[in-house]
Amino acid sequence: MLVELGHFCLALALSVSILQFVLPIIGIKLKSTRALATSTYSSYLFFCLVSFSFISLMWAYISSDFSVALVAQNSHSLKPLIYKVTGVWGNHEGSLMLWILVLSLYSLALSIIGKNIPLKIKSIVLSVQGLIASAFTGFILFTSNPFLRLLPPKLEGEGFNPILQDIGLAIHPPFLYLGYVGLSITFSFSIAALILKQADSIWIKWVRPWAMLSWTFLTIGIALGSWWAYRELGWGGWWFWDPVENASFMPWLAATALLHSSIVAEKRNTLKAWTILLALIAFSFSLLGTFIVRSGVLVSVHAFASDPSRGIYILLMLILFTGGSLALFAKNAPKLKSGNMFSPISREGAIVINNIIFSAAAATVLLGTLYPIFIDALTANKVSVGPPYFESVFIPLMVPAILLCGFSPMLTWKRAVFDNIYERIIFIFIVSILITSFLIYIRNGSAMTFLGIFLSIWLFLGTIYDFFERILRGKSFNEVAKRIVSYPRSAYGMSFAHIGVSIFILGATMSTAYKTEIETSVQIGDKIIVENKELIFESIKQNQGPNWLADVATFRISHNESDISFLYPERRFYPASQINTSEPAILSRLFYDLYIVLGEKDIKNKNFAVRVYYSPLLNFIWIGIAFMAFGGILSLSDKKHRVSYKTLRKNRNLSIK
Amino acid sequence: MKKYYYYIPLITFILLILFFSRQLFLNKDPSHLPSVMLDESFPKLEFNQLEKYNLLTIEDIFSYDKPSLVNVWASWCVPCKIEHANLMLLKNKHSIRIYGINYKDNLKKADEILNLDGNPFYSIGVDSSGRIAINLGVYGVPETFILDRNGKIRYRHVGPILEYDIRETILPILTKLEQDD
Amino acid sequence: MIKLFKYAVILFLCSAPSSLYSQNNTNLESNSLVLQQAKELYEELRCLVCQNQSLLESEAPLALDLKELIKEKLKEGKTKKEVKDFLVERYGEFILLLPTLSLQNLFLWIGPFIFLFIGIIFAYKFYTNFNRSSNKTKTLSPSEKKNVQKILDEKLE
Repeated sequence: MLVELGHFCLALALSVSILQFVLPIIGIKLKSTRALATSTYSSYLFFCLVSFSFISLMWAYISSDFSVALVAQNSHSLKPLIYKVTGVWGNHEGSLMLWILVLSLYSLALSIIGKNIPLKIKSIVLSVQGLIASAFTGFILFTSNPFLRLLPPKLEGEGFNPILQDIGLAIHPPFLYLGYVGLSITFSFSIAALILKQADSIWIKWVRPWAMLSWTFLTIGIALGSWWAYRELGWGGWWFWDPVENASFMPWLAATALLHSSIVAEKRNTLKAWTILLALIAFSFSLLGTFIVRSGVLVSVHAFASDPSRGIYILLMLILFTGGSLALFAKNAPKLKSGNMFSPISREGAIVINNIIFSAAAATVLLGTLYPIFIDALTANKVSVGPPYFESVFIPLMVPAILLCGFSPMLTWKRAVFDNIYERIIFIFIVSILITSFLIYIRNGSAMTFLGIFLSIWLFLGTIYDFFERILRGKSFNEVAKRIVSYPRSAYGMSFAHIGVSIFILGATMSTAYKTEIETSVQIGDKIIVENKELIFESIKQNQGPNWLADVATFRISHNESDISFLYPERRFYPASQINTSEPAILSRLFYDLYIVLGEKDIKNKNFAVRVYYSPLLNFIWIGIAFMAFGGILSLSDKKHRVSYKTLRKNRNLSIK
Repeated sequence: MKKYYYYIPLITFILLILFFSRQLFLNKDPSHLPSVMLDESFPKLEFNQLEKYNLLTIEDIFSYDKPSLVNVWASWCVPCKIEHANLMLLKNKHSIRIYGINYKDNLKKADEILNLDGNPFYSIGVDSSGRIAINLGVYGVPETFILDRNGKIRYRHVGPILEYDIRETILPILTKLEQDD
Repeated sequence: MIKLFKYAVILFLCSAPSSLYSQNNTNLESNSLVLQQAKELYEELRCLVCQNQSLLESEAPLALDLKELIKEKLKEGKTKKEVKDFLVERYGEFILLLPTLSLQNLFLWIGPFIFLFIGIIFAYKFYTNFNRSSNKTKTLSPSEKKNVQKILDEKLE
């Protein structure tokens, strides 16, 4: 019964979202404020309906209602509660429900927080949100309905794949979607700006923080996915340039460019057309990501159901939103007032370069991901574009960006006088080269390793140099303390984020370049030595799961005669599908990761094939990303984002522009 | 900025969409992989013999002056069992010569299956390691190659040959090959 | 100018230590050289029966066969390129994860440069446009005059 109600609410939600889209348009044509005002109410209603619908679906999972086809396919009564709950979005239909739930949340937030936004702008923004909502709700109802019944109901569900019962995998979609859908807000505001042919203080006031928020969520979401892959997939890899990963990476790259560009737009009231274009493109990448994953156009490890009819619907959505918005951009963007001038050598100039590099990077990832399709369409040949391509192209693109990022805090706005910064740049460069050379001298490394370490140190030094220089301008302890406290939060945010990038680069470089890999076969009692840690194969026992049998090995890890820990890698056999999988065991420490994979058993000799990876500084990858996300949050908490709208409106009406 | 610069993003997008649409409407299976050896002569491979059965040799293939099939199969392969009846049909009803390559199999079990269900093969080559089949660009079993009368590979069918495939693909191609030169 | 020269010299001297780096010391024993090359090849070749994994990552039967084959050929003394060519002859370019530098893949390899170039052109046009628009005269254009009139009219309503 609840499920039927949920289904019904979803259908109602579709009607409401259509009204949310249509009424403001009528309001503008007929100049009716009342029609415009309905937009907030429809967003409230849409939120309530979608939430109820989502909760009813979640209830079906929690109560293991196997008369719902989706629950029967994806859940199991023995699943732990938390995985029943997170299983709601672990499939195509459910994840779309999550999508519109998040969308409804954002529209709600817009209505509440933006109470004082001038009605004309607010209603256009909500109208666009309504259009997006209708498109997705319609998509769910007509092609991917989660409420379909299965009659007669199954007695037990089929969804008991333990690999999918992992906390990282479970919570990464919500974060990812909070990121993707957040970009719809910046998208809608940019559409409104284009329609009204003005990109003013109201527009920028919403674009910057919401771009930052979406970016932060996307960063966390992507990192969670990578972290899961690293722990579960048995190869010590954390990024595979798989089309589905690229589908989330492209919006991230666009969002990074967007957030930097919006900083310029807010501070200097310029680069507005670029920022709008980036906002349109970033959301388009979110939509494109949806298309790639669900349409069966690409070969990937974790694509959802490949269904061409769904693909066509999404293609139409892309044409509508991306095509429509880009056409609107082509027509109206020239009419936007151009902003203030700045010299190419300035903070703004650096961000322009950043825009270009990140846009080129996003375009390159898109090119690499889609190239097999191009070639197939044109020549019927099949080519592969894999990690070797992306690495050889992406990294060179990023190098100038990182170099620039290192001294960009020193660049002043509008016009930077190079003579002043010259010395500082040289100083940091020299120190970085010296430190890097020293490290490379101790442990031999290749040119790429040198580059990676250099960039990491360069970025780190550049970021903190500027901070300390400003702080230490104070002449007394008190003054210095005062400077530390009054240093703007958004500047702290930037520093933390950039430091996060440098930590990430160091982690990625060191864990790849100095990874030690040992592939051998061991008997009980054998010892493996790697980087002065000893791994002793102590015992093996059998274990059984609902649909698998496993050999579980016990390894004792010790260092200098004292025990550090035990690791229990598994080798599983699934009789139903006749597949063997390995469950790696990982020891994670600040400065290294020890990763053991149990391989094939040689029954005759009682040997087990074993692979051991020792990756130095691997966790710096996650720590670096955490710093980046933290920087984003810090930046968001800056008071400047809380200027009241009343003040804004007053100022807007006063300025004769 | 000149006005027409602003149209560049839109134009790029339209081009992308055209490609997407084409791919979508062609309804291609992205994991479908055509053989790169099309129009090449069947490679000069040497097989081991399955006892009691004729040995597949290259001379057989090149001396036969009609189109033929080469079928890669194994006793452990479930889809192979499904297509077995269709192979018998092609042999008995349509008089098509089918060569068999036994892939990574237990020879006793292979013999058992042929005894039980019948032998559609004119001659059989054994590839126990799977190494010989790599020379044909084989991905797995079952796969079937259509050869023309000159021993050139003209088509590769991946997966079991079902009734649909016989009607829509195999027979038409064979007929065309017979009428050629 | 002298300052610049001084800095250039210092920079040059500082990059000297970087010549201390060396390639990863590969054991000159031929067996481990073969293994090293094999591993590199595994990373560059696709597992054909998996969805988007390299040979290194895959335990599929065909992948294991191919890995054995690669090791054998390397032991025979074939170069990496010869092994790759052998496989491409039989499985097509699809098996290469690093696309070839061929005419067909031209756009793939040139593309990133083109994107950067387009971006730089945009930036250039952007900066020069600034200079032009700041030279515009300060009188109102006819459409701007109309807008002012409209605003004044609205205020009067």
